[in-house]
Amino acid sequence: MPSVVVLEHVGKCYTTVKGNEVQALKDVSLSVQQGETVAIVGPSGCGKSTLLRLIAGVEEAGSGNIRRETAGGQFVVGYVFQDSSLMRWRTVYDNIRLPLEVVKKPDLGNVDRLIEMIGMKGFERSYPIELSGGMQRRVSIARAFVHEPAIILMDEPFTGVDELTKEALQTELGHLIRTLNVTALLVTHDIEEAVFLSDRIFVMSHRPGVIVEEVPVHLPPARDPSTRSTPEFVAAANQVRARLLAMQAMRVDAAT
Amino acid sequence: MASIGRARRLGLPGLADYGLPVISFVAGVAVWELAAELFHVPAYLFPSPSAIARVFFTGHVNWMHQTLITLNEAVTGCVIGIAVGFAIALVITLSPILNKILMPYIVGLQVLPKVAIAPIIYILLGFSNTSRILLIVILTFFPIVINVSTGLTDVDRNLIFLLQSLRASKATIFYKVRLPNSLPYFFDGLKIGVSGALVGAIVAEFVSSNSGLGFLILNSQYTFNTVAAFGAFTILTVLGLLLYGAVVLLARQLMPWYRSG
Repeated sequence: MPSVVVLEHVGKCYTTVKGNEVQALKDVSLSVQQGETVAIVGPSGCGKSTLLRLIAGVEEAGSGNIRRETAGGQFVVGYVFQDSSLMRWRTVYDNIRLPLEVVKKPDLGNVDRLIEMIGMKGFERSYPIELSGGMQRRVSIARAFVHEPAIILMDEPFTGVDELTKEALQTELGHLIRTLNVTALLVTHDIEEAVFLSDRIFVMSHRPGVIVEEVPVHLPPARDPSTRSTPEFVAAANQVRARLLAMQAMRVDAAT
Repeated sequence: MASIGRARRLGLPGLADYGLPVISFVAGVAVWELAAELFHVPAYLFPSPSAIARVFFTGHVNWMHQTLITLNEAVTGCVIGIAVGFAIALVITLSPILNKILMPYIVGLQVLPKVAIAPIIYILLGFSNTSRILLIVILTFFPIVINVSTGLTDVDRNLIFLLQSLRASKATIFYKVRLPNSLPYFFDGLKIGVSGALVGAIVAEFVSSNSGLGFLILNSQYTFNTVAAFGAFTILTVLGLLLYGAVVLLARQLMPWYRSG
């Protein structure tokens, strides 16, 4: 499988308001293959969101190299944010259609198809304010798929959603990713979410963010709620958790 | 709140929401009327509601004419104020340098009680309609500038990232994100602006005019015609309510997606 994105020794520094240099990312190397879902798990403030912005091309990498492979045309991403970040002045339909407008692609029924897939038929003309939190997330997910991007970037997509809704949304998202056969990169601090949705997991350290381990997920592509109790699921989750806990213990030691 | 809740539970939602304010208003007017009657308050000190109502039919004042003069000034000044306010808001959000350059004047004008400059405008521009409109413009454009520039800047960062990731131009981000985002802010500014426009119109007429409701009030003072002044107050209250209501209705019409509070 060809790669969609390859990061080689990528680093990024920020200058804070006070003028201090903060290294957000240090020497990150990874690649995402076509059709796979990769998760990056790390503690808050490890530069995960920064990494996504670099891949999206919204910010420039400070050092290293990012290769974006495109089979003709521009490299365009789909973006799912922590909060749904919908345009409150647009209806469900128009929110989902937005990326098509911006990249000037005709709407060949993708919007309607996605609305159907996320179970929001009948809500096309509703405004975000009229939707529940879970419905808003669904719309923001559909918006990320509509223009058939090279890769879908997800930045802790279910933060602040209650546990039951979250599991339902994860199941739906996994189904959507498989059905539409997309490439996706998910950053999260939720270990179960990472295991449930991805094929490979990178564990990232606290700032400056470095990849400390790669954990393969030995699960079939098709997953449902029962997947969560399989030995393979638990094993992968435990491996990620052990690594994160070990890092946290080291930080506590270093601080005392 | 608790008692309104109780009224709703009793199946009187209409009474709680609209009935109570109406009853309160009618009762207030009735008490006022009775008190004026009972204590024989002279009309030139504090006229009764019935005396104020009668003043509209006495024929000494052409109420419609005077009202239209004031309303015309207020609306003209308000419309110009909106245009000027919007233009300045655009300039200071699009150019950080111009923002810095204009900042001292904007802040200075903001803290200065703007009616204070009314007499000086007449020295600069003469006793003309232009001077009156200018004062109203100054009172209206300000809340528009502040609110619209906030609305153009106070944007969900993620939406900017989203459009940037799709290689959208600055212009596209402006009219797809910033402009619609500023709409509720604009209407909040306009609510302040329309009341400012009425204040401006009255002050302008106080300082120099021989017509309009402000002139009428000033003239009433000289002639101890307090009833006529109260007539003008009544009309101004209604005008204020109508202008404010028009803004609220327009906002609801243009922003079905917006719910304040």
